[in-house]
Amino acid sequence: MVQNHRREDHETGGENKEKRPKFFINDHVDILIEILERLDGRSLCIAASVCRLWCTIARNDSLWENLCFRHVSPPPSSVRSVVLALGGYKRLYTGCVRPVRSRLGRVRRASWARDEVQLSLSLFCVDYYERLGGSNSNGRLVEKSSPSSLMFLCKPVNV
Amino acid sequence: MVLYDSATLGGSCSGSSSSSSSSKPPPLQQRQQTQQDIDGLLAGAGYRVRSSELRKVAQRLERLETAMVNSPADLSQLASDTIHYNPSDLASWVDSLLSEFTQPPTCPSEFIMDPETNQTVVSDAWTTAEPHMPQVHQNISYQQQSLNNQLTVDNQLTVVTAMEEDSGIRLVHMLMTCAECVQRGDFSLATSCLEDMQGLLTRVNTVCGIGKVAGHFIDALSRRIFQGIGGGSINGGSAYENEILYHHFYEACPYLKFAHFTANQAILEAFDGHDCVHVVDFNLMHGLQWPALIQALALRPGGPPLLRLTGIGPPSPDGRDSLREIGLRLAELARSVNVRFAFRGVAASRLEDVKPWMLQVNPKESVAVNSIMQLHRLLGSDLNRNSPIETVLSWIRSLNPKIMTVVEQEANHNQPGFLDRFTEALHYYSTMFDSLEACTVQPNKALAEIYIQREIANVVSCEGSARVERHEPLSKWRTRLSGAGFRPLHLGSNAYKQASMLLTLFSAEGYSVEENDGCLTLGWHSRPLIAASAWQAVSDGPADFPA
Repeated sequence: MVQNHRREDHETGGENKEKRPKFFINDHVDILIEILERLDGRSLCIAASVCRLWCTIARNDSLWENLCFRHVSPPPSSVRSVVLALGGYKRLYTGCVRPVRSRLGRVRRASWARDEVQLSLSLFCVDYYERLGGSNSNGRLVEKSSPSSLMFLCKPVNV
Repeated sequence: MVLYDSATLGGSCSGSSSSSSSSKPPPLQQRQQTQQDIDGLLAGAGYRVRSSELRKVAQRLERLETAMVNSPADLSQLASDTIHYNPSDLASWVDSLLSEFTQPPTCPSEFIMDPETNQTVVSDAWTTAEPHMPQVHQNISYQQQSLNNQLTVDNQLTVVTAMEEDSGIRLVHMLMTCAECVQRGDFSLATSCLEDMQGLLTRVNTVCGIGKVAGHFIDALSRRIFQGIGGGSINGGSAYENEILYHHFYEACPYLKFAHFTANQAILEAFDGHDCVHVVDFNLMHGLQWPALIQALALRPGGPPLLRLTGIGPPSPDGRDSLREIGLRLAELARSVNVRFAFRGVAASRLEDVKPWMLQVNPKESVAVNSIMQLHRLLGSDLNRNSPIETVLSWIRSLNPKIMTVVEQEANHNQPGFLDRFTEALHYYSTMFDSLEACTVQPNKALAEIYIQREIANVVSCEGSARVERHEPLSKWRTRLSGAGFRPLHLGSNAYKQASMLLTLFSAEGYSVEENDGCLTLGWHSRPLIAASAWQAVSDGPADFPA
């Protein structure tokens, strides 16, 4: 958000005397995407509530893909199809990667970054599987009230 | 047993009898547990102390030690025999010694929670006759207990009043006594023990801690004494119920997740480079282990193999084919991630009823056998036929699997002697319940506890073929499997790293993963509770044709 303002000011600095901004970020979607790509998860969610255009862009899964693999070398292309099949990158990030990263942040070692993503993927897959069971017409297999296996990630951390 | 005898009171400490008697409760007051008054263990050592006063005596001993150490005065007057007449009466002996010191006690951090008003009372008023523990036993209200519960939940600490700690210790003593009676066959004494324990339970916090575990063990003992050793309702739970409980146990604590992830990692590594793979799961349940493996196979470099899964499970009574439903769900997942997948269900109520031809193993495919807490059920020996464990292990070996993953509880619950088994189970399940305290998500926690409770009931109250929870420790499994023609495979650093990460995600900081000679164990505060290992069949030698 701060980046955005700074950019806008920079752009309008020369034309300040006219008192009419000639630069409107929404006219330049490619720049907007560049900016949004660099945000963290929470800011991205906030950005999604600015206006309809921003909401549409923020929902784009590739932005969330960037978030998931931000500190990791790019994964093989096969990962994308798997993640999309299991529910998409936004869900992966908000449900798994972010809680996993914040929990492990305290004891993280540098070599764990890739393994964090892999573990998140596995947990994500189990979660998808459990959701499959709930949506079955015969819902006896998994109780609706039973939290998914990712619930343990949502609990407050016991310091 | 003898009440605190007022006759010895006069003889023990002539100089300070007034102070010691005023701090003692009147010996003739009404108490429920009169015959169990004197602590048994100290009595064996020659000291008579009332169990309810254990904590008080201990605190005073500490104070005495501090006073002795800090006292500038010459301590020779303590050596006079005329004052300390009866050292076996430990409580009054300590009091009399303390009365020798004119200085106030130097323990600034000593507090006693006055159970009635729940305020802390500085304990240097040890000579006053304050309403002390025995009298307020019966006055503990439900509000007080729930206050304790609230504190426990909020602070994640166990706020145990002095009285409760005593009662907890006494409960454990009484459980041992009862178990010993059962082993001896003295059921009348065991029954009276049970009644006493049930009375004691009302004074202990049964929401957490020793009270809860003791409650389950008391239930199991009464089941054994009154309903016999046939199992009955414990083993009669439907397969559907068992699956639900198992699922909640999976969610509530990391043991099963650890088992699944570790086994999957080992299987993934064993299947490296193979294009046609077949996994045999000895207990499918909801198939929670397999999504992660399917996903990992989908993403492995070189592309996914053709995966066949054979799931063994109990038959469903009401015509539903639950195995097939799970298979369909897994197939749908596999289809979403583009893994060629085939499922086969084998319904069998006991693992020893499964024959290898039912699994339809193709000779060209690589086989993995996965047993999560199933092998120990085969250890009941039946003299009429071959021991089931040997039968099953030999046909596993005949399949020539690339890997066999074995996860078992790390406990020795298969000893022939009942008391040993009981003791071991008490320690093991206390630790497990401790670890469960970290989970606050309901209904996971409550149902997970029922799952564990069923195990306890089976270990304690069943015998013969009804007792299926015959856990053995890793060392015994090593011997057994090596003797059956398997050699161990090391689980590797990836599995260890993954297990450590998984553990770190759980909010309680008490879990620990340890590596034990190529096997991984997960435990609570350095007591291992579950052990995962991997095995491969030893080839029979160059003379035999490869299968």
